[in-house]
Amino acid sequence: MIFMALCFAMPIVIVTWFSLMVPRTFDLNADVTLTNYYAAVTEGYARPLMWSFLGALITTVITAVLAWPSAIILHRHAGHWATVVSALIALPIFISESVRLFGMSVFMMPRGGILAGSLNAAFGLQIGSILNTWSAALVGMVYIHLPFMLFPLLLGVSLIPADRLEAARDLGASRWQLFREIELPLAAPGLMIGALLTFVLCLGANAEAAILGGRAVTVITAAIEQRFSYAQDWPMGAALTVVVIVVTAAIVLPVLSRLDLNKLTRR
Amino acid sequence: MTAQDATPHSNRPVILSLAGLAKSFGQKHAVRPVSLDIPEGEFLTIVGPSGSGKSTLVRLLAGLETPSAGTLSLRGQDITILAANRRPTAMVFQSLALFDHRSVGQNIEFAMKMKGVAPTERRSRAMELLRLVRLPESYYGRSVTECSGGERQRVALARAFASDPEILFFDEPLSAIDYRLRKTLEVELKDLHSRTGRTFVYITHSLEEAMVMSDRIAIMKDGALIQVGTPSEIYRRPSNRFVAGFMGEVNILPVENGRFAGIDQPAPEAAGSFAVLRPEDLQPGPGQTTAKLSVKQRLMLGSRTQLHLQAEDGTALVSEIGGQAEAFAVGTSHTFGFAHDRIAWVDV
Repeated sequence: MIFMALCFAMPIVIVTWFSLMVPRTFDLNADVTLTNYYAAVTEGYARPLMWSFLGALITTVITAVLAWPSAIILHRHAGHWATVVSALIALPIFISESVRLFGMSVFMMPRGGILAGSLNAAFGLQIGSILNTWSAALVGMVYIHLPFMLFPLLLGVSLIPADRLEAARDLGASRWQLFREIELPLAAPGLMIGALLTFVLCLGANAEAAILGGRAVTVITAAIEQRFSYAQDWPMGAALTVVVIVVTAAIVLPVLSRLDLNKLTRR
Repeated sequence: MTAQDATPHSNRPVILSLAGLAKSFGQKHAVRPVSLDIPEGEFLTIVGPSGSGKSTLVRLLAGLETPSAGTLSLRGQDITILAANRRPTAMVFQSLALFDHRSVGQNIEFAMKMKGVAPTERRSRAMELLRLVRLPESYYGRSVTECSGGERQRVALARAFASDPEILFFDEPLSAIDYRLRKTLEVELKDLHSRTGRTFVYITHSLEEAMVMSDRIAIMKDGALIQVGTPSEIYRRPSNRFVAGFMGEVNILPVENGRFAGIDQPAPEAAGSFAVLRPEDLQPGPGQTTAKLSVKQRLMLGSRTQLHLQAEDGTALVSEIGGQAEAFAVGTSHTFGFAHDRIAWVDV
C-alpha cells in the first residue's frame, strides 16, 4: 500500500498540483490558478487531443478486426503450429519499440525503401511513400499494439465452449448469427480487456507519430513532452496531462466497471 | 440374428435411413458401416459402452460430423453432407450446452430467433413449450444458471422442441443426473414422446434406461450395430453373450459335449454353444435341469433378493427370488432348477 501510495499516487498528486501553478514557473508554493486549464481549452490543444483519441480509437477498431479471425483460427488449430505462431507474434514485444518503428520506416521509405524498392524491382511499379503521414503513424500503431489485442482476445475466444457453438449450429444459426449470438457475447470480456489495453496504450503513444508520422500530426503526448522539455512550461504540461488522465478515466472506468473479471478466470 | 418382432411403428414410413454410414478418424474406425431404417414416430435407443462409437454415430445423424462413407437420407432425400443448421433435426447434448449468457426464454426462443420469427410469436410459443416440459411460465425471464439440474434438462428439451424438429437426438442427457431424478425424467421423456409423436433417437450406455423408454433398441459395440430389436427381443433373445451380459446380471452356461459345463448336468439338444439364463429364471426347487448350489452372498433388492450361488466346481451363478428369502442364509446349500424354454441360446 505504501509502495502504491509513493510510486503511483504521488506523481499524480504532484502533477495535479503543478497544473494549478502560474505558467512557466517551477514553484510549488505559489497561488493556485486555473490559467493553464483555460489555456488548454483556448490555445489549440483540442486538436492534438482529438488526433490522439481518434488515433487510439481507429487503432483499437483495426486491431480488433484483425485479431478476431486470428484468435479464432489460432484457437481452432490449437497445438504445435499455433504455439509457434503465437510465439512469433509475441516475440517482437521484447524488442525496443523504437527499433521496430525505425525498421518500419526503412520498409516504408520512398524508392529505396523495402516496400517501394521490391515493388519497383519485381514489377517495375513506381509508388510514392506514405512515410511521414498520419496513415503511416496508424500503421505503426496497429503493428505495435496488435499483440495487446490478440492475446486477451485469444483468452476470450478460448472461453467459448465448443458445445455451445455446436448447439447454436444445430438450432439453425448461420455463420454470422453464430458470431453475433454466441461468439461475441462469450468472448466479450477478452475483447474488452484487449480494447482497453490497446486504447490506453495508444493514447500514451508518441513514437509512432514521431518516427513514422514525421509529426504530420501532433498528438497530445508530443504536445505534453514539448511543454515539459523545450518550452520549459511545466504547469502547462501538467495541466494537459491531467486533462488526458481525466478524459481517459471517463472512458475507461465505465467499461472497466462493467467487466466481470471472474468470467475470465472461471470456466 | 433372431426374427424381428413387429414394433409399434414398423408400419409407418421410414423417416431416417442410414446406408453404410461410417466415420473414421485417421486410422481409427469410430463408426463401421451402419445400415438402419428408422420409422416415423419411433423411440429408438442406441446403447453401447463408452468408446463404442454411439456418440459419433448420433453426431453424424445430426450433421455435426461428416461421414467418411455411406449415405443418410431423410424422407428419401439425401442429407449426407447437409450442414447441421440446415437439417430439420435438433439435439439435446450430454452437457445440455445451454446458453448461460441468455435467459431461459431466450434459450428456448433461440431457434425461432434464427429463423426470424417475430418476438411476440416467439414468446407465446416459448410459453407453450414451458408448459410442454412442465416448467412454470415464471421461468421465462430467469437465468439458466439459476436453474437446478432437472430444470436445466427441461429447458434444453424445450429449446430443442422450439425448432419444431422432425427428429430429436439425445446424447446421454441424463447421464449426469442422480438416480431418482433420472427415473422421473425417463418416464417424462417417454410421455413427451407419445404426446408429441416425434421421432426420438436416444443415446445411452445404460440398457436399463433404454428398456424403460424405447420402442426399439440398437446395441453398439466397437463402432458396429450388433443387434437391433424391441426391448423384449434384446432381453429374451440376445444375439450373443455381449448383448446378454449388457443388461445386468446374467448366467451364461457353456455347453460342452451335450452337458452344461459347471453344473455338470445334461443339456437339451443345444441350439447354441452357450445357454443364457436370466437370474429370475433360476429358481429354488427342481426344474428341467436341477443343480445343488451353495449361497455365497445374499443381496436384498427390496421386493426381491439376489442370491450369488456357487456350483460344486466353483462356477458362479446368480438367482433372483421374490421376498426376503430368509431360508437362504450364506453358507447353506439348496436345490435350484430352471426350465429349458427360458434359455436363450447364443453361439458367440
